[in-house]
Amino acid sequence: MEELSSASIQALTLLFSGNVEIWRIIGVSFTVSVKAILIATVPAVIIAFLLSYYVFPGRRLLIALFNTALAIPAVVVGLTLYILLSRAGPLGDLHLLFTQQAMIIGQIILSFPILVAMSHASLQASDRRAWETAITLGAHPLRAALTVLREVRFGLIAAIIAAFGRIIAEVGSSMMVGGNILNYTRNIPTAIALETSKGSFAQGIALGMVLLFLALLLNLSLTWFQGKGEVNS
Amino acid sequence: MNRKDWHIKMNHIAFQHKERLILDDINLQIRHNDFILMTGQNGSGKSTLLRIIAGLLKPSMAQISSGHHKQSWPQARNMLRQRICYLHQQPYLFHGTVFDNIAYGLRRKKVPKQEIGHRVNLALQTFSLESLINRDCRELSGGEKQRVAIVRSWIIKPDIILLDEPFANMDKESRFKSYDLINQLQHNDIAVLLTSHDPQMGALNINQHLHLYQGKMVSKHL
Repeated sequence: MEELSSASIQALTLLFSGNVEIWRIIGVSFTVSVKAILIATVPAVIIAFLLSYYVFPGRRLLIALFNTALAIPAVVVGLTLYILLSRAGPLGDLHLLFTQQAMIIGQIILSFPILVAMSHASLQASDRRAWETAITLGAHPLRAALTVLREVRFGLIAAIIAAFGRIIAEVGSSMMVGGNILNYTRNIPTAIALETSKGSFAQGIALGMVLLFLALLLNLSLTWFQGKGEVNS
Repeated sequence: MNRKDWHIKMNHIAFQHKERLILDDINLQIRHNDFILMTGQNGSGKSTLLRIIAGLLKPSMAQISSGHHKQSWPQARNMLRQRICYLHQQPYLFHGTVFDNIAYGLRRKKVPKQEIGHRVNLALQTFSLESLINRDCRELSGGEKQRVAIVRSWIIKPDIILLDEPFANMDKESRFKSYDLINQLQHNDIAVLLTSHDPQMGALNINQHLHLYQGKMVSKHL
């Protein structure tokens, strides 16, 4: 217990003393995860919309596949990408292994099923009258689709926050395809894993605090976006 | 074509869902300033027919023409969506205020922002709903929602407004307020087709009465 509290004090000192290494690690985490979520969100929401509003062969199978993909472990994604991107792999010529781009690809793969499944659930629960009302009031189908997305925006925001929460904290994929290179691909989870293995708990705790603080911020923002947080009477 | 000369003719409308024939060989014509009441029991196909007329549902078969031109379904669908407004039995109001909802169609028509404000205010005054302008739509009563939805359709000046059971679950006072509002649509050069269980609509200026029975138009009389 004493060790934990002294490590926590050291962790706070590290954070607030402006330790460059720590803040670079935090920076890498945010850069990679924000880029991944920005790239994944639009196509994922489009797919979720198509799955909700259009009937086509294989639709149910696709929904089942996305739901199944929710359970894919990050390390499996990392391993698959590692094989594909390694020098002998089919995508080896791209020289992406141990780069931030590879980490972004891994995080896109991890966040995509969450974004699709949660957005689809929101859209499926939405009212079809919203779409028909927009169309009958003169909206072009694309504009009507945007109107429907606006109507379910809280569900979509929840999907984005959940997906972001998953990828910013994942270690398996980032470790395997990023390589945990200091000042380049070392992010919060891979740094925590490394520092813990070295017995340097203060830095691990400091980074853990950042992750926890981030989780709190994400949840506060979600609650704020959702308004009163109660069912309308 | 002049708005007053415009009419729509829909012949041989059929709609089948899986094995069930929901609409069977319906013929219908709607002209300028028509006020049509369509009655029929639950499941007789009234809502399905309205959604086809509004261009929201593709019929299994139909010949649709406006003026002298027969149109393919994609052409007809676009024309129907531009000229006809459909109101659900329980109208859907978007999240936001009454102003936002009434302005929605005007924004889609790219009406300048200042003119939108002016026209929304005028519309609400015309129908004595100005007190609702900044109200959140989720706080409105059923009758108020219905009237706001009618004004939202009226403001974009469609040729036809389709009302699906507009008086269902309404108390007497709301019903009479809605009668007034719907009668005003006709004075504004808008044809109205409304469905109801109840053929007694004495307070409305109906000039045509259609009756659907098990997907067929069984009687037509003035």
